[in-house]
Amino acid sequence: MKNSKLLWRLCVAAAILIIILTFSPLVIAPGKTTPSLFGMPYTLWVSILTTIALVVLTYLGSKVLPDEEEDNQ
Amino acid sequence: MITWVVIMFVAFFSLLMLASVKSYQKNRSSQEFMLAGSNLGVFLGFMTFSAALFSAFTFQGMPDFFRQNGIGAWIFLAFSDGAMVFFILWFGRKLRRKAREKGFKGVAGLMTECYGTRWAGYALFFSSFLFLIPYAAIQIRGISVFFDAAFPQFLPRWGWSLILVVLMILYAEIGGFKAMVYSDAIQGTILLVVLWLIAGTCIHKLGGLQSMFDQVAAAEEQLLSCPGPNKLFNWQFLLGSLIAVVMIPVTQPQMTTRLVVMKNLRAMKKMAYAVGIFAILVIMATIFIGMYGAVRYPAATAQEFWSKALLYDQLAPVAGLAMVGLFAACLSTTNSQIFALGNELRSMLPGHEKRVMFITKIFLFIFAILVMIFASLMGDQIALLARVSFTGTAMIAPIVLSGVISRHKPGKELIVISFIALAVFLASIAGLVPSQVGPLQLDILLYLFTFGATAISLLVRRYADGKRPDALTTQ
Repeated sequence: MKNSKLLWRLCVAAAILIIILTFSPLVIAPGKTTPSLFGMPYTLWVSILTTIALVVLTYLGSKVLPDEEEDNQ
Repeated sequence: MITWVVIMFVAFFSLLMLASVKSYQKNRSSQEFMLAGSNLGVFLGFMTFSAALFSAFTFQGMPDFFRQNGIGAWIFLAFSDGAMVFFILWFGRKLRRKAREKGFKGVAGLMTECYGTRWAGYALFFSSFLFLIPYAAIQIRGISVFFDAAFPQFLPRWGWSLILVVLMILYAEIGGFKAMVYSDAIQGTILLVVLWLIAGTCIHKLGGLQSMFDQVAAAEEQLLSCPGPNKLFNWQFLLGSLIAVVMIPVTQPQMTTRLVVMKNLRAMKKMAYAVGIFAILVIMATIFIGMYGAVRYPAATAQEFWSKALLYDQLAPVAGLAMVGLFAACLSTTNSQIFALGNELRSMLPGHEKRVMFITKIFLFIFAILVMIFASLMGDQIALLARVSFTGTAMIAPIVLSGVISRHKPGKELIVISFIALAVFLASIAGLVPSQVGPLQLDILLYLFTFGATAISLLVRRYADGKRPDALTTQ
């Protein structure tokens, strides 16, 4: 239980960090298009990766967030 | 193409009728009719949530948004959706706990219970009414423009709107929430398939991904970075959009309700990441359609772009499926919004079950008429209109968030705070208040005000209640 809470907090911290990074010049630098990936400009493929990271975190979060509610009833 | 349109529509309506028959029961209770017995499994739950979320706004608005404003549109919606599904894990768990403690008929009813005053419920219903009617109208508007472009002079635009509204009312009144869930599953599947068929054609026609983006760079290089050619996607616009989208499950009752009606917490958590995967797949397809439009139809109107990219540049079966896909997306999203308004009203109505159901059904009809009137008055900037709707409903977030997460009875000052924010936002739409204050956009400023004031209110009450022996008796 204690471990679950810690892991959940780590997931939350990671999600907040990803959001901050995405809104920083690291991802939305004005006019930056390189390096490209499969032809996609920099901001697009990096933001696709950060979106995937958030969904992966949602999956991980769903595993560690305690299930104490009606499931146990 | 007409033959394929007819074939696809016959198939679609057959599936809808099947769903209606499967879900129809005589003598249903209002809880069964409006909330499907609150027992949705993972697949239906994820499909109905996704279908209520992705609509004509995604199908038409997003490709056009990419075409006109560039790749920042991904962060505007897809990244925000990624943050939203993560937020659902935490918020959905709290919401379900509160719904179990207080009973759940609708969010407005739940807030009335949490705050101990009907004003909390009225505030929620008012903001939902104010922004969901125009949001639902966006869908109707989108489809009427699209069908008008596909079949010019066959029917006036309002004729297409009327057909959709009549079908929507019939389907909702006969089938109830369960039928809508089935139609959402059908719609979600069609939406995903048809968007990728169209996107695949667009990529192929421009000679592959690399070639597509090279051609976009040659046409308008600013589309490939932020803030885009119209300077729209600055960090404030994107952050404001993120907050508005993350707050959708809090402030849009059709989405909040879908978290509560999942059969258990485990199913809701699985639903959250499934929606995230679905969002990535659906929105990714719209990038390529938008980029195709930027190369082939840079100066076209939205209507011309939609009819060419989604219909006339596609193979006939794909174009037929696109028409059905758009119609289905429109039908299920609008239905869910109108139905949610009906449910919110029901959750605040006192009296006998039959009387409540009767009034609710009358109001479903009235809401649908209002949607149709709005649809004939609004413009074609679908994505921006949707953002206004998301932002408007987000102003009321402090009421629901505090009601759901606080173990103490939240203060009525939160209702006043939300109303002030809502009034200022409405004034800015009317042009009475500037949309920029100093270096900050007004929506960011209002979020700072509402969330800051909410945090202070919750902390003060927690401290004050901590000194009272009966502090937690409100739970």
